[in-house]
Amino acid sequence: MKKTNFNRRDFLKITAVGATALAGLQVIRRVQASGSAPSGGRQWALAIDQSKCTGCGYCVMACKAHNDVAPDITWNPVLEVGKTGDKTVYLPRPCMQCANAPCVDVCPVKASIYRPDGIVMIDYDRCIGCRYCEVACPYGARSFTWKKFTGPNPAVPQWGESEVERRPRGVVEKCTFCYQRIDRGMELGLTPGVDQDATPACVNVCPTGARIFGDIHDPESPVSQYLRAHSSYRLREDLGTAPRVYFIAADVKDM
Amino acid sequence: MKTRKMLRFSPWLAWVFFLGILIIAGAIAAFFVYWKGLSVTNLTDLVPWGLWITIDLTSIAISAGAFSLCAIVYLLGLKRFQPVARTATFIGLLGYTMAILTLLLDIGRPDRFWHSLVFWNVHSLLWEVTMCVTLYLGVLLLETLPIFANFEWLRSRWPKLAARMSQAHHLAPFLAVAGLALSMLHQSSLGALYGVLKARPLWYRPDISLLFIISAVACGMAITVLASMVSARLTGRANVDDSLLDRISQIVGWILVFYLYFRFWDSLAMTYTYEPGRTEGLRLLTRGALSFNFWIVDILLGIIFPMVILVNKQTRSMPFWRMLALLLVVSGVAAFRWDTNLSGLLIVMSYVPGTPTMGYTTYRPSLIEILSGAAIVSFGLLAFSLGVRYLRVVDHQVLDHAETGTQAQTLKEIPTPSAD
Repeated sequence: MKKTNFNRRDFLKITAVGATALAGLQVIRRVQASGSAPSGGRQWALAIDQSKCTGCGYCVMACKAHNDVAPDITWNPVLEVGKTGDKTVYLPRPCMQCANAPCVDVCPVKASIYRPDGIVMIDYDRCIGCRYCEVACPYGARSFTWKKFTGPNPAVPQWGESEVERRPRGVVEKCTFCYQRIDRGMELGLTPGVDQDATPACVNVCPTGARIFGDIHDPESPVSQYLRAHSSYRLREDLGTAPRVYFIAADVKDM
Repeated sequence: MKTRKMLRFSPWLAWVFFLGILIIAGAIAAFFVYWKGLSVTNLTDLVPWGLWITIDLTSIAISAGAFSLCAIVYLLGLKRFQPVARTATFIGLLGYTMAILTLLLDIGRPDRFWHSLVFWNVHSLLWEVTMCVTLYLGVLLLETLPIFANFEWLRSRWPKLAARMSQAHHLAPFLAVAGLALSMLHQSSLGALYGVLKARPLWYRPDISLLFIISAVACGMAITVLASMVSARLTGRANVDDSLLDRISQIVGWILVFYLYFRFWDSLAMTYTYEPGRTEGLRLLTRGALSFNFWIVDILLGIIFPMVILVNKQTRSMPFWRMLALLLVVSGVAAFRWDTNLSGLLIVMSYVPGTPTMGYTTYRPSLIEILSGAAIVSFGLLAFSLGVRYLRVVDHQVLDHAETGTQAQTLKEIPTPSAD
């Protein structure tokens, strides 16, 4: 009778098969992580109180400086949307960081991805500049770099120092909730939404405190508390995009 | 003496010279695009897709003759259409080449064109289209190998290689299946690419994909017949069997009947209730800036008029009317692509509560877009002209072109003794 033995070759075979299967699972998991909306852990959210917004445009300029955005591009415009009583109502429009983002679905190269904390990011080294995401975004939140941004940034240093690399010509760019400030702040043990050094530049600079930031999964975060205290709405909720930017409608009593 | 002869005017040289000038002008324009970036176009963040996308979509539509005629020949077994399918396959190769050239202009980072082949996003229709186009280009290259084997210079220089290339015709039935599958995926996906966007209510409808593939089949067959007829009239190097072209023209006419019917219901269904963005888009098409394109170029001259001409036997047999009708089919499909793209983009959708739309924007291509686009079309015309002259892509006399050179010659020799 032949002795049943588990020799070196069998061992290698099983190891190889196992490793391949594990690697495959890992790939599938990564695909799922970037291709579908994350739900666990920290989820950053922004609340904008339209009663407090005076349309000063400080957030527009701080954004341009901190993210080194070209003068002809605005990641975070402030729109005049009407009047309540005799007061003008403004609507600032950052990227909505949708949980079901149309831009992530349509990108042919997976250059638009969800971070685990819900921020929709663009990989500027991967983007081919096809602009399908611009066509798909219901909020007009994306800008194409039609020409190369050279020379000094006119918003620097008055409105802050640039903290990220300037994007090359021919890619699509957008608001990132100042992910660089969040990531660096978290490394220093700070809390985004509470400590300025871990909070988006537009939130810090707002002179009336119209912007409130934080982790929406943490009931004690500033944004969670504010949204509990006020009724809010999101833009184009009918589309099912599940934005992470909440608006508190302007009320003439609070203005 | 010899120089004088070379300088003598010939229509062929004038044609090549004319196309050459357009191609050079377009190459200069393309150089500006790469040097200065897409800021030299009139594209904006509101209208990021314009003339180039229309050329791109139309090039792919004119290529649809390849898969549909190959399916007729190799899958339905109507072998007599084989020489027409051969012309269509060559046009298909040129069409896809034109589409890829246009895309290389249009994307912001042409140096990263290969990213979609490596970094897959299976959710994206644009990814699916890119994969199918790349694979189908491979199929078309294999399908056109026997055509390139006809090149006289190649046959005299490397006869063995030419014979090898001719042998690829054995693959034709398998390539026809692959071509049909890939085309049925991406010809419709090009429409679905617009149709899946919920943020653009005019596009957000399920049948835009079907309209794209049906119109593409009509357009691809039309341009194949048209190009064959024009070539046969201009040069002795092309000869056609008119009974084949007549029959395909009739098929185009009947496709148009169904296409018109689907277009009618597609448009009517969108008028039922007011929907922000969709209703404004329809107004743009039927009464606004795109209305001439929509009613005249697309519906009346692009579908109804050629449909009547091509279904009716008498008008179809008159070469002038048939050629005119086929040309109008092609321009109608181009107008449909242009309108589909722009009607969705020109309406600026609003996200402001209580304001469903912000109004209309405008788009007019810049000179650089027009020149580079014209160069790509000229490239297609020049390549087809060279194909007629040197590869005999329009030749209905030899039954099986896929045979090796020697066998084709024997076939030609047969009638001579019997005539004696």
